[in-house]
Amino acid sequence: MRPLVSITKREFRAYFDAPLAYVVVCISFVVLGLAFFTLRGGFFQIDRASLQLLFEYVPFGLSLLVVPVVTMRLISEERRSGTLEMLITLPVKDSDVILGKYFGALSLVLTLVLSTLAYPLIMFKGPWSLGTIDMQPVLSGYLGLILFSAATVAVGLLISALTESQAISFFITVFVLGLVWFVGDVADFMGGTAGAVLSFLSFKSHFEGFARGLIDTRDIVFFLSITVVALVVAFRALERRKWA
Amino acid sequence: MSTDVMIKANALSKRFGNHRALDNVSFEVRRGEVVGFIGPNGAGKSTTMRILTCFISPSGGSAAVSGFDVFDDPLNVRRSLGYLPQRAPLYTDMSVWEYLRFTAEIRGLGEDTFKARLKKVVEVCGLAQTLNKDIATLSHGYRQRVGLGQALIHDPPILILDEPTSDLDPNEKAEVLKYIKEIGKDRTILLSTHNLAEVEEACARAIIVSKGRVVADGALDNIRSKGSRINYTVTIDERHAEGGHQPPSAKEVEDALAKLKGLQGVKELPTDERAHSFLLSGAKDTDLRAELFRLAVQRGWTLLELRRESQSLDAVFKDLTRRDEKLDRGDDWSGAYDGAEDEDEDEDDEDGEEQSAGPDDAAEGKN
Repeated sequence: MRPLVSITKREFRAYFDAPLAYVVVCISFVVLGLAFFTLRGGFFQIDRASLQLLFEYVPFGLSLLVVPVVTMRLISEERRSGTLEMLITLPVKDSDVILGKYFGALSLVLTLVLSTLAYPLIMFKGPWSLGTIDMQPVLSGYLGLILFSAATVAVGLLISALTESQAISFFITVFVLGLVWFVGDVADFMGGTAGAVLSFLSFKSHFEGFARGLIDTRDIVFFLSITVVALVVAFRALERRKWA
Repeated sequence: MSTDVMIKANALSKRFGNHRALDNVSFEVRRGEVVGFIGPNGAGKSTTMRILTCFISPSGGSAAVSGFDVFDDPLNVRRSLGYLPQRAPLYTDMSVWEYLRFTAEIRGLGEDTFKARLKKVVEVCGLAQTLNKDIATLSHGYRQRVGLGQALIHDPPILILDEPTSDLDPNEKAEVLKYIKEIGKDRTILLSTHNLAEVEEACARAIIVSKGRVVADGALDNIRSKGSRINYTVTIDERHAEGGHQPPSAKEVEDALAKLKGLQGVKELPTDERAHSFLLSGAKDTDLRAELFRLAVQRGWTLLELRRESQSLDAVFKDLTRRDEKLDRGDDWSGAYDGAEDEDEDEDDEDGEEQSAGPDDAAEGKN
């Protein structure tokens, strides 16, 4: 247990020792703000006390920018620089390494996700008081975001465990996460069995329910399964060094 | 197995795809020994050490560290040893103190133990000035010290150091060797290097590996005597001779020496003195000194120097690993096929993960 906590702490702190975390946090907040208030007319044009837009943009930004950047270096960089050898030859289990890094990265992503709580708090509870908002969809939306982050970070970690290059890890993660997001749109067009299959695979289709205030066990199980499977495969990928 | 055996490798072998990195490597290291693990680049030193530290698994054979099997109990293996990988890969975004703290935390050292150990480690490794600096800003020598520091932080009974002195300047090298000797007084140390001078300085015993096989294992003196020749240095005064004889010319001396029985070679050595100096080589287990003395007396030569020595470790190392080097360079194809056990080696050479350009620099380190 102790090694796991130490590795998690180190990972989380490492983000703030480098400029990367600050850059990503700042850029994503600015972009989210711009998108939320101006893109396609923005929040005010819709003229409803709803955070529907927030739950549309945040997963999008997580998939295409935040998660790939945060997870790209997790294992690939350690492999390249050789620090992985140093870390693993300490008395730690391989699973501690994977989980420690996973929780470290997830902590950063969740910090970011939960800071967007500022939106509903300021707009509807705090100084602005733009009206009364139905809190149920907001809470379920955030539950969805947490599950979504858990799954995407696990996928990013897995991809990082498969390569020695941060850049490759980044692009593949963007590609994969982008793909599982957009197949939801494709599924809507296609319909039929193919559509159903794509829709089942899509992170978007599974997330939409949460954004509307609908908590479906199937969606929860979907994201949790993705998380577990990705972590197990990442663990295997790390173990493979022993035999390759 | 005696409890005194701290590291035991039993018929280890390791394949990377087609390349056989280790082939039936067996050795033991006992408590309190400082053992040099030497061989040319790509000989399998790092691979062996990675197996011993449970970073990778062997394809065959078994190994135990401090009595714990590397397959069954990797955590206890790692707990009982300190390991410094090649080139000391450290987290460059941490300060030295943070890094040592991190390793201590993972190793489960309490706050008080950590402080006490830190004091000792800082003293032994000379880190007092750098404790608060970022590792990214340190020179390679200091990183090596930090690496040594993290290996020592939990006061392990066993240390495995992979080329702790590579890339260091001569002063730093001497320092690190000094630390190793100091900490080696009460620990078991396996130390890999391709620099023979270091082995002679720091270790009492050496294991020589080449192409994944152990080619020699034993006390340094024993390994030296593995050499196939004994060398003699003879120096004769060229100005004076005893008993009314004429001072001899170099040619006369050489001819006379060449006639000695049991001699395998005579070579004139350059000398500053007004003398003729020759290097003779004789077969192992012979002693020609008495013969040489008698010859000098008989001819009335003034014998200024007569010395017998077994081959230097350097020369033995070259002898033992030369055939493999030739294979690497492809200039001894006939040799590649004269031994049945060499069949699969000629093609495997290129894809070794740590093959390097100059196998020679290993052996020439001492010169």
